[in-house]
Amino acid sequence: MLMRLMRREELRDLAERVSRVLGRDIQLGARNIIRQRRRSAIGFIAVTAGVVAMLLAAGFFEWNYDIMREGTIRARIGHIQVVRPGYLEAGAADPFRYIIPEKTEDRALIEAFPGVDGVAPRLNMSGLISVGESTVSFLGEGVDPVREKKLSGAVRMLEGTDLSTIDAKEVTLGEGLARSLELKVGSSAVLLVSTASGGVNAVEVTVVGIFSTITKAYDDFALRMPLKTAQTLLRVNGVHSWLVLLDKTSATESMVERMREKIQAKDIVLVPWYETAAADFYNKTVSLFSKQVLVVNFMIALIIILSISSTMMSNVRERLGEIGTCMALGDSRRTVLRRFLVEGAVLGFFGGVAGTIIGIALAQLISRVGIPMPPPPGMASSYIAGIKVTPGIAFNALLLAVLTAFIAGILPAWKACRMPIADALRHAR
Amino acid sequence: MAIVVLEHVTKEYRLGDHMVRALDDVTLSIESGVFLAIAGPSGSGKSTLLNVIGCIDTPSSGRVVVAGHDISGQTPDQLASLRARTIGFIFQTFNLFPVLTAAENVEYPLLQMDELDREDRRERVQAMLELVQLGKFAKHRPNQLSGGQRQRVAIARALVTRPAIVLADEPTANLDHKTGEGILALMRDINRRYKTTFIFSTHDKKVIDAADRLIGVEDGSVRILGVRKEGQWAITNVARRPATHAETATP
Ligand SMILES: Nc1ncnc2c1ncn2[C@@H]1O[C@H](COP(=O)(O)OP(=O)(O)OP(=O)(O)O)[C@@H](O)[C@H]1O
Ligand SMILES: [Mg+2]
Repeated sequence: MLMRLMRREELRDLAERVSRVLGRDIQLGARNIIRQRRRSAIGFIAVTAGVVAMLLAAGFFEWNYDIMREGTIRARIGHIQVVRPGYLEAGAADPFRYIIPEKTEDRALIEAFPGVDGVAPRLNMSGLISVGESTVSFLGEGVDPVREKKLSGAVRMLEGTDLSTIDAKEVTLGEGLARSLELKVGSSAVLLVSTASGGVNAVEVTVVGIFSTITKAYDDFALRMPLKTAQTLLRVNGVHSWLVLLDKTSATESMVERMREKIQAKDIVLVPWYETAAADFYNKTVSLFSKQVLVVNFMIALIIILSISSTMMSNVRERLGEIGTCMALGDSRRTVLRRFLVEGAVLGFFGGVAGTIIGIALAQLISRVGIPMPPPPGMASSYIAGIKVTPGIAFNALLLAVLTAFIAGILPAWKACRMPIADALRHAR
Repeated sequence: MAIVVLEHVTKEYRLGDHMVRALDDVTLSIESGVFLAIAGPSGSGKSTLLNVIGCIDTPSSGRVVVAGHDISGQTPDQLASLRARTIGFIFQTFNLFPVLTAAENVEYPLLQMDELDREDRRERVQAMLELVQLGKFAKHRPNQLSGGQRQRVAIARALVTRPAIVLADEPTANLDHKTGEGILALMRDINRRYKTTFIFSTHDKKVIDAADRLIGVEDGSVRILGVRKEGQWAITNVARRPATHAETATP
C-alpha cells in the first residue's frame, strides 16, 4: 500500500517535472518564433498552405464518399439489413428459402430502439417485364410505400409519383429500365415471375413513376411495387428483409452490436451496410482514393519538411551565440536539442492551426458555391460536390503538421547541440 | 587554497594545414577569492585561457582542475553540470536572451536546479536584481535596457547560482568608460562581500588597476604574474618556458 502511494507520488513528480520543462521549452519556442517573425514566416506559410491543401483534398474526397455512402444506404440497402443467415450471399438463386415474417416482436423491438429512424420490409424478386413485343428481365423490390418514404431519401423521382398504397397494382421504374422499354408514366406492363411451387405467375401493373438513384447499374434493371402486390405475385406471406434506417450512419456499428444482444430469434441476422455487396463499390472506392490522399499528404509533408528545415537551419545559424551562451550556463546538449525540436514543432502547430482555420473557412465557401461534377463511372447523374472537413481530417492534418515540423527540426537541432561551445560563443554579436 | 590549477596546458587549433598554438605549456594556480585580471595583446590567448578554465573548451594536452574537479575525461554532460553549479559567465557582448525579461534571464540558470521550487527561484532572482540595482527593471526585455544595465543583468545571472568562480571575457569592452567603471566596482564589491573568485580578461590599463592579481599573457604563454598589496603591484617576470611552478600565490 505504502509502496503504491510512493509510486504514484513519484509518477506525479515526474509528470510535474516533464510538464515544467516542456512548458518552458514551448514558451521559449513560441517567443522566439514570434520575435523572428520574418524568418518564421517562410516555415509558417509553408505549413499553413500545406494544411489548407490537405484539408481541401481530404475534405473533397470525404464529401464524395458521403454522397456515395448515403446514396447507397438511403436508396437501397438501409443501414442494417435483417435477413435469414446466408440470404445476402445465396438469396438470388433460391429466394423462397429465405423468407422471414413481416412482423415479429423483434421487429417491434428494433423499431423502438433510440436512434432508429424507421424499419421497412422488402421482398425481392427477379422476373420478366413485357410491354407489347419487348420483354426484358428486371430486379424487383416489393416495398411498403409509407415506410419506404423515409428510406428512399436518395431515390429521385424523375417523372410521375411514388407508389400510393400497399396493395395498388402499380410500379415505379428505374430510369434505364424505363428507357429500354420506352415506357412512360401511365402506360401498363405485365410482370412475370416464377413462384415458390415452381409455377409462373403474372400481374398487370400501371407505371406511376420513373426514378433514378446514384447507381446506374441498379437503375437499368430496378423496379419497385407495393409489398402486398409483390406478395400476391410471388405467393408468399413474408418478406426477405427488414431495412433499418438510423439517424446517424456513424452509429451503425455500435447499434448493430446492441441490437444483436437484444434479438430473440435465432434464425435471423443483422448485416450492417458496409458488409453488403452493394457497399463493396463504396468500400473499394474509399480505399482507392484514400491511397491517393495519402500520396498527396506525403508530398505536402515533404514540402513542409523542406521549408521548415531551411527555416530552422538559418535559425540555428543566426542563434549560434545564444546556443553557446545556453551551454556555457550549463544547459546540456540534450536540452539544446530538445529546445530546437520543440521550437520546430511549435512552429508546425502555429502553421497548422492557421491552416485548419483557413482550410475550414475555404471549405465552407467552396461548398456554398459548389463544384460541378460529371457523372462518375457507375453512377447515374452529374452532381454538385462540396468539401466536408470532418474533425478527424482536421486533427490528422494538424498532427501531420506538428509531426513533420518536428522531424524537419531534427537535423538543425542536432547541429545546434553538437556545436563546440567556444566556437558558438564567438558568433555572439 | 587553489580553486583553479593548470598544469602544462597546451591548446592548439588547426587552421588550414598548419597548427596555431593558442596556449603554450601554461602552468598556474589561482587562489580562491581573488579578483584576477588576465591581460595581454590581441590574439595572445586570453579568451582561450578563460574558456579552458570555464570548461567550455578542452586543452590539447595538460591537466586542468577546477574547484576540485579534474576535467580531463569528463563527458560533455558532466562538464555542463559542473558549469551550471560552480561557474558563472559574463560576456563582452552581454549575451542576454532577447526573448526573456531581465528577471527571466536571471532565473534561467536556476531552471536546471531541481532542488529549487518556483518560490525559491523568485526570491533569489529578486535578491540578485536588487544587488545589481535593477529591482525596478525586472519586467524589461534586454532591448529596453542600456548597455550598462544589460551587463548588470548578466552579472546577476552569473551570480544567481552562487558559483565559486565568475569568468568574464572583457566585460567592459563594449561599455563607455564611466559605465565600465561602475560594472567593475560592482564586481569588486561582490568579490569582497561574498568571496567569489573573479577572473576577467582585459586590455585596459584602468581595469587592470582594479584587480588584486594579474596574469600577463603573450603568444600563448604566461609572461607576468602580479600581486597588488597596499596599492602597489609586485611583478614577477616568468621565463619563457618556466621549469618551475609558476604561481600567483600571495607571498
Ligand atoms: N577556433 C579557433 N580556430 C583557430 N584559431 C583559433 C581559434 N580560436 C582562437 N584561435 C587562435 O588562437 C589565438 C588566441 O586566440 P584568443 O581568442 O584566445 O586571443 P585573445 O587574447 O582573446 O584575443 P582578443 O584580445 O583579440 O580577444 C589566436 O591566434 C587565434 O587566432
Ligand atoms: Mg578574446
